[in-house]
Amino acid sequence: MADPALLRAEDVEFSYGDQFSLHVPEFIIPERSVIGFVGPNGSGKSTFLRVLAFLVKPHKGSIFFSDDAVSFDNDEITRHVTFLPQDPYLLKRSVFENVAYGLRVRHDHKNLGERVRGVLRQVGLSPDLFAERQWHELSGGEAQRVALASRLILRPKLLILDEPTANVDRESALLIKDAIVLLRREYDTALVIASHDILWLSGVAERIDKMVQGRIAGYVSENVLPGPWSRKSGELWSRMLPDGQVVRATAPPSENASALLSPRDIILSLKDPEGLSARNALRGHVTAIAMEETRESLTVTATVSNLSLHCRLTVQAVRELGILPGSSVFVIFKATSLRWNERDSS
Amino acid sequence: MDYLISGFIGAFKLLLSGDAETYSAVITTIAISSLSIVLSLIAGIPFGFLLGYFNFAGKRQVRAVVDTLLALPTVVVGLLVYAFISRRGPLGELGLLFTILGVALAQTILITPIVVSLTATAVESLDKRLGMTLATLGARGGQLAIATILEARYAVLIAAVTAYGRAISEVGISMMIGGNIKWHTRTITTAIALETGKGEFSMGIALGIILLSLALIANSLLIGLKRRN
Amino acid sequence: MKKTMRVLSVCIMALILAMPMASSAEVLRMATTTSTDNTGLLDYLAPTFKAQTGIELQWVSVGTGKALELGKNCDVDVLLVHAPSAEIKYVTEGYGVDRTQVMFNDFVFIGPKTDPAGIKGMSASEALKTIGMKKGLFASRADKSGTHVAESGLWKTAGLAVPDKEQWYIQTGQGMLNTINIAAERNAYTFTDRGTFIKYEANWKGNPPLVILVEGDKLLRNQYSVILVNPKRCSNVKNELANKFRVWMALPSTQKEIAAFTLMGKQLFIPNAHEK
Repeated sequence: MADPALLRAEDVEFSYGDQFSLHVPEFIIPERSVIGFVGPNGSGKSTFLRVLAFLVKPHKGSIFFSDDAVSFDNDEITRHVTFLPQDPYLLKRSVFENVAYGLRVRHDHKNLGERVRGVLRQVGLSPDLFAERQWHELSGGEAQRVALASRLILRPKLLILDEPTANVDRESALLIKDAIVLLRREYDTALVIASHDILWLSGVAERIDKMVQGRIAGYVSENVLPGPWSRKSGELWSRMLPDGQVVRATAPPSENASALLSPRDIILSLKDPEGLSARNALRGHVTAIAMEETRESLTVTATVSNLSLHCRLTVQAVRELGILPGSSVFVIFKATSLRWNERDSS
Repeated sequence: MDYLISGFIGAFKLLLSGDAETYSAVITTIAISSLSIVLSLIAGIPFGFLLGYFNFAGKRQVRAVVDTLLALPTVVVGLLVYAFISRRGPLGELGLLFTILGVALAQTILITPIVVSLTATAVESLDKRLGMTLATLGARGGQLAIATILEARYAVLIAAVTAYGRAISEVGISMMIGGNIKWHTRTITTAIALETGKGEFSMGIALGIILLSLALIANSLLIGLKRRN
Repeated sequence: MKKTMRVLSVCIMALILAMPMASSAEVLRMATTTSTDNTGLLDYLAPTFKAQTGIELQWVSVGTGKALELGKNCDVDVLLVHAPSAEIKYVTEGYGVDRTQVMFNDFVFIGPKTDPAGIKGMSASEALKTIGMKKGLFASRADKSGTHVAESGLWKTAGLAVPDKEQWYIQTGQGMLNTINIAAERNAYTFTDRGTFIKYEANWKGNPPLVILVEGDKLLRNQYSVILVNPKRCSNVKNELANKFRVWMALPSTQKEIAAFTLMGKQLFIPNAHEK
């Protein structure tokens, strides 16, 4: 928790004409952290990521890197941050030269060949098969992996990824995810990952921020409920928890699919509501209550059997409930609030 | 009609027998146009890059001037350069008139606008993501410029081939500045003009065939490059 | 890719370096008229000149007007031209020195075999008067060349103005052979040096559409002279080499060689360096 900030953005503003503006009062990336980033297209997410990567200069505000204020033309600091866009561009050179480029411009030629081959292996590309290929001889997934390899080889202190798995095949997506996790584990790289793949983000990120209309809408951590699911009757499916309680859901895409549950869709109650069968009411107890960055709401974490579920409540609601860590509560949500991850359909 | 046919027959005889006068003109042409293309690339690529890469006030006007210079008539260039390098001109001391270097310099003036204009267009039409990619990989200052030109290299080569084609085929400058001196500044085109003036059609046709072959080589190179681009 | 570029650039450099080395001998630069070059006379004389003096002769062949202009601009060392009246004026004005006559050939009037104006066998003046009267088509080079200057002079000698604005007077602005070709296409008369006409005749295998109609008149003599570019005006000129060439052209042995030069088996130039 007490990790010092690797990067701190203060009062960043960026506007596009009159219609839209980005405004982030404060944004902190702790050292070695992984931060997920979600938000609809056009929310300003990609612009903000480019600001964090020192590629776009904000119209207002300042950014501190390891407590040093960064001017956008300061080579040495900005070279610690690198960015992988959603649709990366490969230089019109061989795979080897694409990957080696970042080291060449840093005049770092030591063991260049071995290092290039190493990162190619990390992204699942055989150096013997791919190193000498030209940029136009790659599939979309291969190109994305080459682009990632050309960033991994730099061992940045901060790697920012914009939808790294959006336009690639399933196999490439898995390899990219593995490589990102490995980077963090081996080189203490901090990561900011924007993705629609909330399931994966929930697995790797310590924090997920959401951007809506140019504002960071605060801390959101999607709950994940893994399978297996079994059919109960008609459209109703269920999942038995180890303590015998049952979670009801709509038809999943496959038996082992994971369901997502937004913290906003959960309410807590001290009494069993005894109601519709399509509504889940699970017995559990509160394990944590945390203040959100926006200071308008609280995140209450409740444990139900072996699940840990986050729910988002107003300060007012928590006060009225009178709950504290340790309190017994019913966790209530509709079966239709469980969302299925499209990726699990195959 | 039969002088044309006998011209063609004579042309092949000249080519196959390795006629020294013919080959001297060919070598002179290649030497002059190679020199002028090298000079025009050295002058034109950086200027074209600046014009294509940066946005500045008056950029459109500069582009308009450069594009107008694409249509420079060779005789106008020839006349202007003659006025400068004639012994009575400001650069007369250099003794450039009637030399290969003089012709090459004048041709450089003729073809540099082609290199500038096509390079600027090539740089302008590069992928919008390129600059950001180079920056995030750590390229700075001159490294950005070099990598950008390298990305545009096929289009720049197309510019070079186009400019080369113009250089080997022009006659006005070669005649006015080179003086068509046998064994020295006689190029394929000035030789054609001379031989036709003398009524030596076979020699003219032979040289025409060589010029066409050179243009053909340059153009097949161009087609290959366009496909790669 | 890189390798081929390297090889290519080395070749180009070698080529560029090799070119000026080929001309390391002492070079004399001359401006002359198309007739001396087109007939091959200079190709015939230059090797002998080099063998006897060690000087390499390089020449630019242009119209006499342009040749005189190149001399005025100090761009050449010596002139070999054929426009006596213009030459004398040129020397008087101080642009040239040591004018030396070396040889002559002659001009002829040629025209269609049908001879529509009927000038065959006339004197030069009579022929021009007849053409002017009958408005026969006439092609003129109109390019200030020696031939053009001579033609203009003949109109004046015949007591006529140059018919500059007449419909029947075709001003080509081109070289002699092109002008002959234009005259042939238009069925016109024209005025040419004999050497070019012999070449033209040979191209048609001896059966050309245009034939000689007027020749042999004293007025048709075409005198060639060597003039040195004035070293007092042009400090850069190689006056010494130029003078060697002037002297060499007048040598009996050179004069003999000029007389021996033939085109299609016909003598073209008559040496007259010692005629006063």
